[in-house]
Amino acid sequence: MKAEIVKLIDTTKCTACRGCQVACKQWNEMPAMRTRNRGSYQNPPDLQWNTWTLIRFQEYVDDKGAFKWLFRKDGCMHCTDAACVKVCPSGALHYSEYGTVGLKSSLCIGCKECASACPFDVPKYSHADDKIFKCDLCLSRIRTNQSPACVKSCPTGALTIGPKDKMLKKAYARAKELGGDANVYGDKFVGGTHVIYVLSEKPEVYEELPKNPAVPASIVLWKDILKPFSLLVAGGTIAGAFLHYITHGPKLPDENGHDAEGKGE
Amino acid sequence: MRKDMIQATDAFERVVHWSLAVSCIVLFVSGLGMMFKSFNFIGTMVGGLRILKYVHNFTGIFFIVSLVLSIRMWWKEAGTFEMPGDLEWMKAAGGYLWHVDNVPEVGKYNPGQKAFFLAVAVFGAAMGVSGLVMWFSTGFPAFAVRWMYVLHALGFLVLFAFFFVHLYLGTIGSPGSLPAMTTGRVTRAWAKKQHPKWLREMDESAKADVHAGGGHG
Amino acid sequence: MTNHYIDLKNSDVILIMGSNAAEHHPIAFKWILRAKEQNGARLIHVDPRYTRTSARCDYHVPLRSGTDIAFLGGMINYILENNKYFKDYVLNYTNASFIVGKDFYFKDGLFSGYNPAKRKYSKDTWVLEKDGRGIPKRDMTLSNPRCVFQMLKKHFSRYTLDKVSSITGVSKEDLTKVYAEYSATGVKDKAGTECYALGWTHHTTGSQIIRTMAIIQLLLGNMGIAGGGVNALRGEPNVQGSTDHCILYGNLPGYLKMPVASLDTLEKYLKKCTPVSNDPQSANYYQNYPKFFVSFLKSMFGDKATKENGFGYSWLPKMDDGAAYSLMHLFEKMYEGRVKGLFAVGTDPAVSSPNTAKVRKALEKLDWLVGENIFDNETYCFWKGPGVDPKQVKTEVFLLPASASMEKEGSQSNSGRWVQWKYKAADAPGDAIPVGEITIKIMQAVKELYAKEGGVQPAPILNLKWDYTDAKGRFDVLKVSKQINGHFLKDTVIEDKDKKTRTEFKKGQLVPTFGMLHADGSTSGGNWIMAGSFSATGENKMTRRGKDDPTGLGLYPNWSYAWPVNRRIIYNRASCDIHGKPYNPKRKLLEWTGDKWVGDVPDGPWPPMADRAKGKYPFIMKQDGLGALFGPGMTEGPFPEHYEPLEGPLAKNPLSSQLINPAVEIFKNDMNKVASADEKFPYVCTTYSCTEHWCSGALTRWQLWLLEMQPELYVEIGDKLAQEKGIRNGEKVKVQSARGEVECVAMVTKRFRPFTIEGKTVHQVGLPFNYGWLFPKDGGDSTNFLTPTVGDANTFCPEYKAFMVNVKKA
Repeated sequence: MKAEIVKLIDTTKCTACRGCQVACKQWNEMPAMRTRNRGSYQNPPDLQWNTWTLIRFQEYVDDKGAFKWLFRKDGCMHCTDAACVKVCPSGALHYSEYGTVGLKSSLCIGCKECASACPFDVPKYSHADDKIFKCDLCLSRIRTNQSPACVKSCPTGALTIGPKDKMLKKAYARAKELGGDANVYGDKFVGGTHVIYVLSEKPEVYEELPKNPAVPASIVLWKDILKPFSLLVAGGTIAGAFLHYITHGPKLPDENGHDAEGKGE
Repeated sequence: MRKDMIQATDAFERVVHWSLAVSCIVLFVSGLGMMFKSFNFIGTMVGGLRILKYVHNFTGIFFIVSLVLSIRMWWKEAGTFEMPGDLEWMKAAGGYLWHVDNVPEVGKYNPGQKAFFLAVAVFGAAMGVSGLVMWFSTGFPAFAVRWMYVLHALGFLVLFAFFFVHLYLGTIGSPGSLPAMTTGRVTRAWAKKQHPKWLREMDESAKADVHAGGGHG
Repeated sequence: MTNHYIDLKNSDVILIMGSNAAEHHPIAFKWILRAKEQNGARLIHVDPRYTRTSARCDYHVPLRSGTDIAFLGGMINYILENNKYFKDYVLNYTNASFIVGKDFYFKDGLFSGYNPAKRKYSKDTWVLEKDGRGIPKRDMTLSNPRCVFQMLKKHFSRYTLDKVSSITGVSKEDLTKVYAEYSATGVKDKAGTECYALGWTHHTTGSQIIRTMAIIQLLLGNMGIAGGGVNALRGEPNVQGSTDHCILYGNLPGYLKMPVASLDTLEKYLKKCTPVSNDPQSANYYQNYPKFFVSFLKSMFGDKATKENGFGYSWLPKMDDGAAYSLMHLFEKMYEGRVKGLFAVGTDPAVSSPNTAKVRKALEKLDWLVGENIFDNETYCFWKGPGVDPKQVKTEVFLLPASASMEKEGSQSNSGRWVQWKYKAADAPGDAIPVGEITIKIMQAVKELYAKEGGVQPAPILNLKWDYTDAKGRFDVLKVSKQINGHFLKDTVIEDKDKKTRTEFKKGQLVPTFGMLHADGSTSGGNWIMAGSFSATGENKMTRRGKDDPTGLGLYPNWSYAWPVNRRIIYNRASCDIHGKPYNPKRKLLEWTGDKWVGDVPDGPWPPMADRAKGKYPFIMKQDGLGALFGPGMTEGPFPEHYEPLEGPLAKNPLSSQLINPAVEIFKNDMNKVASADEKFPYVCTTYSCTEHWCSGALTRWQLWLLEMQPELYVEIGDKLAQEKGIRNGEKVKVQSARGEVECVAMVTKRFRPFTIEGKTVHQVGLPFNYGWLFPKDGGDSTNFLTPTVGDANTFCPEYKAFMVNVKKA
């Protein structure tokens, strides 16, 4: 385990140029899709198997009537307590030595459990590949001391990456400097994410951004309770049957019992 | 046919039963292989987890078909309880768990079997539905899919328990039962012990040595 | 740019107007953001539409397209009425104190000397009064009612808040807010800068909008200082370079003037082009014009250019007097059938030129068309475009594959005039070669034909030097660059009496600075402003990548070469007071230490102007050495005036009886329809690019990652208008003008808001101009079907930014 790293997305410096969106595709060799304009700059409409990071455009009028155009770079948050890793049956999704969530594509079996488990709706499934895809924070680049493609492409400094404590400090300093509703998003849930935001508005203002993300209760129930319990029950059943057999014995037809009717047939 | 044997099941019933049984086993094993990292070796044995996923998914289809046929076939005989006979039987637990001098008489399927059938029907259906949703999860809201996983795990828990009890009682726990699912014929003695009321009905309709009755009617 | 990109970080107030900097200069925009982060700079965006730039600025002020002069004129009025101007600067460094000639007047929207039949001014009365020595008279009290300052004040006194608000649609509160914040930079230690782009140039009044801002910057003392200036953010990657090297029809390299027919001898031409100043304190640097021009002729014609033959002046093509040769004129003449052949190099006018229907019709009248590009585009295959029957088109079309910018070596100039050398990154595919090489090859063939067959006027062709190939006959880009820099053509000794230096140069050595060019034919120089891009010993300064920053202002003097003479901020002597002390010691761009200037490369070595004997005024490129508040060089008047766009919502100009710019040329033929203040076309429309595509999209539409983000043509419509029209977000609509229509997707947004103009609600819509029928097939066609053929009176830059349309459901 190396020192944890954190990518900081300062939405207040983002110009939505989408350099990151393209750089991500270029580095990861992801193809484009033929899209349509649906009345928004945001395109593709959502994260896709071939779009691991997406700038979301949102027109917003605040409670004072001021118009704002919010840009948010969406993508994997790299949770410390990652629901996707929790549910992944094959080990394809795993914690990297930097604390981020890596994806070994060769191990992925396309079960899509992560896709529904993720509180941020990040992993996306490709039918053609029968695999899940998502951002791995350019692990291959980080391991060679290069910043992720998105960070590298960012012209304004909205994206930066570094040691966790340093980035958190930077994020809080920035939020304080901005004042108002500005806040830091990411360090206080799912064990702390390795991608954190400085948001200019309250988290609930942003589309597709959960206010209090957590590993879903259903996932906890499934993985932490039902899973061990089912083993217990399965084992118990087998053991019970065995016990029954040796203590009670099989239930035999009374060939020589009280019942005479059975005889002589 | 030997005089002391009764035709308990017909060939179709047995095929359906075994389809269900085998698919269940395959699903249990393949499911376990994916559910627990410590069972991942099951995947390795078939050439990888991905293949195991396919085995599981397509066996699931097989299971669903078998289940639908089973439900259609056994619904009438095993899907409804007859009071008060079945209740009496249940109070005595059919004589399986402790010694009972006179097991209350029940028909072809005792309430235990009926309960098992219903459990298989309900949880099997739940497994089928949840499994399909998980398979094609991209078309459903994530939160709903998540609960399908819970349901699937719960289904496994219930089905495995019932399955194993059924297996036990159908084999060494209740000798003489197994032929009902192999040759289809059981001894009168066994029938007398296990399903006396059914035997009587069969005798009355003089079918006992000819046909098992319209289980799949 | 008078300054450079990095310098934007030194600013205290950045007015972004006529630019969508965040979307179109996303890399440069970081310096704007840095000004905010480091200096707490205020970022103000004035634009019809709320854009990604607005989102990052402190606030956005919407204004109706085409009313920038009214907005800025209001600011001049505010500055003068409220005494916000930088008095020391205005008095010493501008022509505020000059006395305007008696016969000059301005009345009801017109300046003196107007000829309505020709739609042109005679500039005879636009002059300054001079004393007996021929030096402009000055009133240093600025109280003479005929002094420039008072004339300016009077002119803009009509631009009251009420009037400006009514014209622009900007509320009086917003106007006052912007005026107050921006004019607060009219002090010694504050810098305000302005960033503009096509949002200003794409108007019939484009040049005058920029002039208005220049006046503001002079009044506030923001010219020549770090963090100041009027900064054109020019498009990527080499617009600056192409203008430096005379892409505009009226220019020769280095902004020398293209000769006209009446100037039939070198003497006449040089007399006309070389300004004279009798003021000993005016450097009047263009007095060196003959040196630059003769050196240019020597580089063109080499040994064939002699003193006797006027250095080959007669071999240069001449324009007809009074005629213009802009892109619009070209297609106008082509449509009339008077242009037979066209080289369309790296351009897609069938998408990018105004009034597309006419342009595409005009192309059918060509005998031949040669395309040089990296992709096919709508121009080169106009003959199979929508509604065209290939059988009916006689034009023969050649498409020559060219290498892309990364597939060739050469220089590239950014807006800050940095000429940066770049190397070839990859081989071009197939037969593609650089357009420079294509040009050389074609010219060699043409030369051979002339040599063999003679023909009309062979001398200009046969005498052309153009020895740009290496020993093996291959195109040699370094040779071209060195020719541009210039050479000593004989052994030369340069003596500097002040510094008491004596330097010898051998024949064939490179000229290290344009100060050493000669008018006697002893030097060559393809482009005088580039003289010095090489050292005399052959070091290519454009390749320099030094990261030292001695001033701390981000000048990076050892990174590449900036023309002129590596000066990073031009007119930098104006950053100091008349004694050479910096106005703002915290941003010390330059300082006179008693015997020399320290800091940036100064605008000339002379002492500051307080030295009455040797000192010079700071604006050395101006005839009088001072910043021109009164600017008689402009076509439509020495002071800017608001006129409505060719097509606008108003039937009457609220400021005068002149509705549109009186000096613009009106193109008249059956396809140049105009519908101003016409209820059939009630909405103001503007066009723009998007971040994801470049210009006509002819290069970027083939890039599927970019296409994925911006897949097809859209029109941005304010939600109020959409509601009125029953248009839903994402549905197909038609946008129609008097000239044509396009079908596109409606993007219903809160980012366009209706304006209140002269008491009435006026809606504005806007479309990007990045799409064409060739690819993608379902992405929509050219937005320029809508735009009118009309342009700025000085530059003929088309009015893409303001015209009238209707929008309806498809």
